[in-house]
Amino acid sequence: MVDWMSGISVGDRPVTLLTADEAPLLARPYFAGGDPGPIIAALAQVPEMLEVAAPFLGVVLGPSALDVRIKEVVILRTSARASCRYCVEAHTVVALDSGLSDTEVRSLRGELGVEDAFPAEEDRAVIAWCDALVGTGSVDAACRDRLRQGRPDHVVVELTLLATTTLLLNRFCTALELPTAPEVLARLATAGMTS
Amino acid sequence: MSTAVAEAVREGRLPGRVWLYANYHCNLVCTYCLTDSSPKSPRRDLAADRMVDLAVQARELGFTDLGVTGGEPFLRPDMVEVLLAMAEQLPTVVLSNATLFHGDRLTRVEALAGQPVVIQVSLDYADAEDNDAQRGDDNHATVVAAISRLVERGIRVRVGTTLDPDAEVSDDEHARLCALHRSLGVADEDHVVRPIVRRGRADVADVGVRATAADLPPELTVTADGAWWSPFGPTIRDGVPETDLLITRTTDPLVTPATALLRLIDGRPPGDDAHLGIR
Repeated sequence: MVDWMSGISVGDRPVTLLTADEAPLLARPYFAGGDPGPIIAALAQVPEMLEVAAPFLGVVLGPSALDVRIKEVVILRTSARASCRYCVEAHTVVALDSGLSDTEVRSLRGELGVEDAFPAEEDRAVIAWCDALVGTGSVDAACRDRLRQGRPDHVVVELTLLATTTLLLNRFCTALELPTAPEVLARLATAGMTS
Repeated sequence: MSTAVAEAVREGRLPGRVWLYANYHCNLVCTYCLTDSSPKSPRRDLAADRMVDLAVQARELGFTDLGVTGGEPFLRPDMVEVLLAMAEQLPTVVLSNATLFHGDRLTRVEALAGQPVVIQVSLDYADAEDNDAQRGDDNHATVVAAISRLVERGIRVRVGTTLDPDAEVSDDEHARLCALHRSLGVADEDHVVRPIVRRGRADVADVGVRATAADLPPELTVTADGAWWSPFGPTIRDGVPETDLLITRTTDPLVTPATALLRLIDGRPPGDDAHLGIR
């Protein structure tokens, strides 16, 4: 259905996720390898933003100086605290594939206590940091000192950028009601972790 | 001011014209309309001051010409004033169905006489029956009369003919159309013939040639919804602008889509020029 005055589609979904055939010229490289996923398909509506956002997201969320395991701890924990269904579902699978245990994943999702699943203080400090950032955004000195313990500044900066970028995506995906891929839902069902 | 755009235009890599979609609504419902325009279409107007500002920016960037299309631009009561202001910046062509040039509108449009503004009027066939089958009852007679009135008032008129590429138009039919436009005071160099492009309503009606970016000259085109590769880009399907030829949503400053268009052009293979003659 289309709003008569604005011409804007007011269908069931907040926005249309563009397909490869509909991809704007600047967005086509992102569709060349197949379905790029709903975040890219939504960003393609504004191709000049996609051109900047996609590489940024790729650098922040992709392979970097941080260990992939701790990156998934940050992404999944932040997403769960922000109640982002899409990101929790997608990154539950990624976290499991990254070597996090079933118990750790359930803990990050808020289904089990952190203390039992993560005995190491260095992990708990990161989780507490994520919880604080998703909350009011202000971080007390004790929480900050725990995170900084034994970590160089560049790691603190990257952990913080990762958590806050995840939070940005959490709000984006939740607001636009992005759909989880069927294969992800199937994996979640197999793991007994459907939302 | 020399800019990358000016350089590309001088070198012939980038067409010099910038198109603006004034609106999307129309008093006609042509069978092959790219923009699915009708009296009930959402207007999607570009505001008058926005159009003039885009004209200023186009000139400053080094573009050499402007085009205005729609919808039917002259449904907007401010169109003559907008065209005069745009033409102070660059020569301007405006596409029109020419069915509104009578009464007060005809009086207002007289102000375009002697100005660097050309009205390109749609007339598809020499025979009224063929023409009106595509463009509506009495369209042929209305348009022929309007062209005469415009020419009499010193307004330069071009005739734009849009043909179904699968329809066989004989040399005799084409000659009669040319004789008609000459008799109305429109010279041969002001007669443009192009195929129906299979987008928008034409695609739904299963007529016209398919055209991709490789087939269309990269003429920067601005609408209320963004900037496109070509005036054949911002077509309407199921009530929504098609996005496959979208460049950017940002249109102000104009340098943003212009620069993106240049990047796209520079990414095209050498010699990959438009070959369908769709202009």
